Amino acid sequence: MRASSRLLSLAIAAPPLAIVVWLFFLPFLSSAHLSFLRDGAWSLGNYALVWRLYRFDVLYTLWISVVSLVLVLGIAIFLCGYLRIVGHRAVEFLFKVPLFVPFVVVGHGMRVLLAPRGTLNSALAQVGLVDLGDPPSIAFTWLGIVVSLVWKNLALAVLLVLGAYRAVDEAYLEAARNFGASVYRQIKDILLPMAAPSLVVASAFMFTSMLASFSIPLMIGGGEQPQMLMVDVYYRINYQNDLGTANALGMVSYLLAMGVAGYYLRTITVKEF
Amino acid sequence: MGEAAVEAAVLRRAALRMAGTVLVAFIIIAPLSSLVIWSFTHKWFWPHPFPQEMGLFYWKKVLEGDLLRALQSGFLIAVVVTALTLVLTVPLAYLLARYPVPLKAVILMIFLLPHAFPQLPVFVNATTLLYRVNLAARVPGVMLIHMVGALVYAVWTMTAVFKSIPESLEEAAMNLGASRLKTFFTVALPLATPGLIASTLLVFLYSLDEFTGTLLVGSPFILTLPVYMYRTSVGYELQVASIAALILMLPGLLLLVLLERYMKAEYLSMFGRL
Repeated sequence: MRASSRLLSLAIAAPPLAIVVWLFFLPFLSSAHLSFLRDGAWSLGNYALVWRLYRFDVLYTLWISVVSLVLVLGIAIFLCGYLRIVGHRAVEFLFKVPLFVPFVVVGHGMRVLLAPRGTLNSALAQVGLVDLGDPPSIAFTWLGIVVSLVWKNLALAVLLVLGAYRAVDEAYLEAARNFGASVYRQIKDILLPMAAPSLVVASAFMFTSMLASFSIPLMIGGGEQPQMLMVDVYYRINYQNDLGTANALGMVSYLLAMGVAGYYLRTITVKEF
Repeated sequence: MGEAAVEAAVLRRAALRMAGTVLVAFIIIAPLSSLVIWSFTHKWFWPHPFPQEMGLFYWKKVLEGDLLRALQSGFLIAVVVTALTLVLTVPLAYLLARYPVPLKAVILMIFLLPHAFPQLPVFVNATTLLYRVNLAARVPGVMLIHMVGALVYAVWTMTAVFKSIPESLEEAAMNLGASRLKTFFTVALPLATPGLIASTLLVFLYSLDEFTGTLLVGSPFILTLPVYMYRTSVGYELQVASIAALILMLPGLLLLVLLERYMKAEYLSMFGRL
């Protein structure tokens, strides 16, 4: 590249890069820095506190993310297979809807639907399935968070998996059909293996976003522990004003995300760009 | 198989498809329909299965209050964020899609980071930085924090858009003597327009729906619809929250209808695929 065009590309790239570096990269580093400071001195005290108070919350967060991811993938793999091989326009359209519903709306909608006095219990009571004197609660438990995360993420998963499935050449499926392969076999033996790289990318993204989900567990999680990590961080800052421990909790979440990101980077080749 | 048996099989399959559609429709619509019911509820005493009184009471009340203010400031923020993002991103995306920019992989990684890592703890520290330059709890600060996420979306989707246009068309124009700038404006940009519209709408929607950054940076003075909705929902003002939720959802659903025409899955599925 000539010097003048180098200068031009620098001028074009610099402003947006500056914003992301200033408001994401630097705060990220200061998060790491502050997590090792306690009362102005270097210490591991914040991490000790995280271990003492929040180790079960870390497990709880992982548990919710893993369960949600497995459910989302399980449903998306077979549903998209059906949509790819047999096709069903109405269902395909319906599954795109959650993509355009904001997280806070999902949180509130699920709260109203799944609370003990929610719309679901009320409807089920009409057919005698629920005793309104002692209504079960899905909201404010881990299951409520899982249901909401699955509902919200399924749309993205369907979009990504279906895109990958559509890229698989029809000839393979036709060959399989000629040998009498059922829809299930076509999904398991052809679509799934061929779309695996895209699935890994989609899973890595969904897993970190579930791990880091904030508004949904804030609105539909229980008021007491265990809580998901991001809610802990928020409470730690808002009610205890304890930046050190909040950032140590943040570091734990970065490390978890980094583990996933590493796996993702190994799968993805850089040569496409 | 006899004719009757074939007919029965066809009927059974049609019935199964119907049942599947109904089930999926229920799963997707259930949480949203609850919002509609609550928004029109005037009085609903437990354990009555239906609201005792329904009407527009809360709609009228809400539209006179804070909700409109939140809607207004949220819209203003989203419009400015989208415009700025567009101006900053279109040239960069074109550059990344077409030219051997030095450190391209690093640049793309930096623009992936805010999407791949937990945002909340980072934004907590970003708020501190914004306080230092007196931008926190003010509209420009909220716009800046929105731009972090918006830029990430825009760079990836718009780069994919430009990459989906055949380079040979631009080469043809340049061979005929058009300058690079002219080629960009007369060939690349018009061809990219549908994709650019799609990603612009996505950025707008992202800003309109952003919650975490707005809550942290904007508090206590800047109120957008998601923050307003969150506060009313946890404060058990269920009718008000449901109305806010419905209004908040509207642009997204409109967009979904538009996107059916504009949006190709490949713009989104390119995301993060270095």
